Amino acid sequence: MLDAYSAVSLGITFVVAFAATFLATPTVAKKMSSLGITGVDIHKTAKNKVPEMCGLAIIFGLVIGTFAEYLMMPVAWRQALAFIGTVLIAGAIGVVDDLHPLGARTKPLLTALACVPILVLGTYVPYAEVPLYGPVRLTIVYPILVPIAIAVTSNSVNMMDVMNGSMPGTVSIVAFTVTMILLWAGGTRTAILTGGLLGATLAFYYFNRFPSRVFGGDTGSLSVGAAIGALAILGRIEAVAIVALIPQIMNAFYGLSSVRGLRERREILQRPTRLLESGLLQASAEKGAPVTLARLILVAGPLGEKEVVRIMMVLTAVSSLLAALTYSITVFVK
Amino acid sequence: MKRVLSLAAIEIFVWLVLLLVTFSISKGAIEISFGSATLPERVATQTARLLTSGLLILLWLVAWKKVADLYLCRMLSRHAASA
Repeated sequence: MLDAYSAVSLGITFVVAFAATFLATPTVAKKMSSLGITGVDIHKTAKNKVPEMCGLAIIFGLVIGTFAEYLMMPVAWRQALAFIGTVLIAGAIGVVDDLHPLGARTKPLLTALACVPILVLGTYVPYAEVPLYGPVRLTIVYPILVPIAIAVTSNSVNMMDVMNGSMPGTVSIVAFTVTMILLWAGGTRTAILTGGLLGATLAFYYFNRFPSRVFGGDTGSLSVGAAIGALAILGRIEAVAIVALIPQIMNAFYGLSSVRGLRERREILQRPTRLLESGLLQASAEKGAPVTLARLILVAGPLGEKEVVRIMMVLTAVSSLLAALTYSITVFVK
Repeated sequence: MKRVLSLAAIEIFVWLVLLLVTFSISKGAIEISFGSATLPERVATQTARLLTSGLLILLWLVAWKKVADLYLCRMLSRHAASA
């Protein structure tokens, strides 16, 4: 049950992370523009240049939000430190990738290392909650699964960051669901950290939504993805998080399996979608083109970028409902 | 609306197969035991459980890919026929 102090802590963490990200984003965008760190908005006929790497503002919001959480709940310092350490390492890898693109195999390997704070601080419980069964003892195997989990979540969220607002929009829905489930599960401390993630991604969504004024870059998507992975481990809701992330994992898995393994975007010549002169997006009809979530959405007919992102968000809402159902099944079986 | 329903149906299918796989893991893989008295026994037990679970998860991913491929092929052929 959520007591008044925890409810206030959750609210403050959310507001602080939201405000910090909201205020930092324009400043970061200005700085990136002046440094010439910009990206082309490829799904627009005008091909506008948009400031890149503005995900730094999300990291800033998460740091400030987590610090606020620490001030209100100093007893949970290990969890807070493990969470923010994971986010910062993944963010640093994102910065390197944005400035000097990493190889398709190097990036997942490096992001797996972002779990070091969780392992070093011992903030995991080696009993995975399996739906329809309950907790399963994995004392030896669990530390091996932690880096895999962080690599999967961070890279799945990274691969979903393909259209205006797709990453912060879908992650906000996942963060909201995870917060609610954690509160239900009694994981109040982790829920407060998740409230910070919700605040930061919602604030960033305001700037990143169609038509984007900022791009998060790999800096933003890798850190946000690692944050979700860390929260799933800290809050012991691994299976629930997998279900909530079905659209992201679906997108990454289809993409990887259709191009037969880990390959960098620049290595793949065929595109999954193409921009029509009307400004609408169309699914590629070529056999060898990567199967992505955007292509699956567009295969029924051309749509605008805004509509595609809206469908991605609806699908994330569906997976979030399924995640809540998964948790209720787990509780029922217990 | 129709495309949203189709993709949501794929999600629900994927979720149901996931539940089936976790049920199979709980009734099969987790029951595997080579003892737990010594460290090698514990390592063997957990490795066997992990490998069996991994195989079941692989089946889940294959089912997932097949249903998406089927949807993509059907939609592409439908559009090719109407063009």
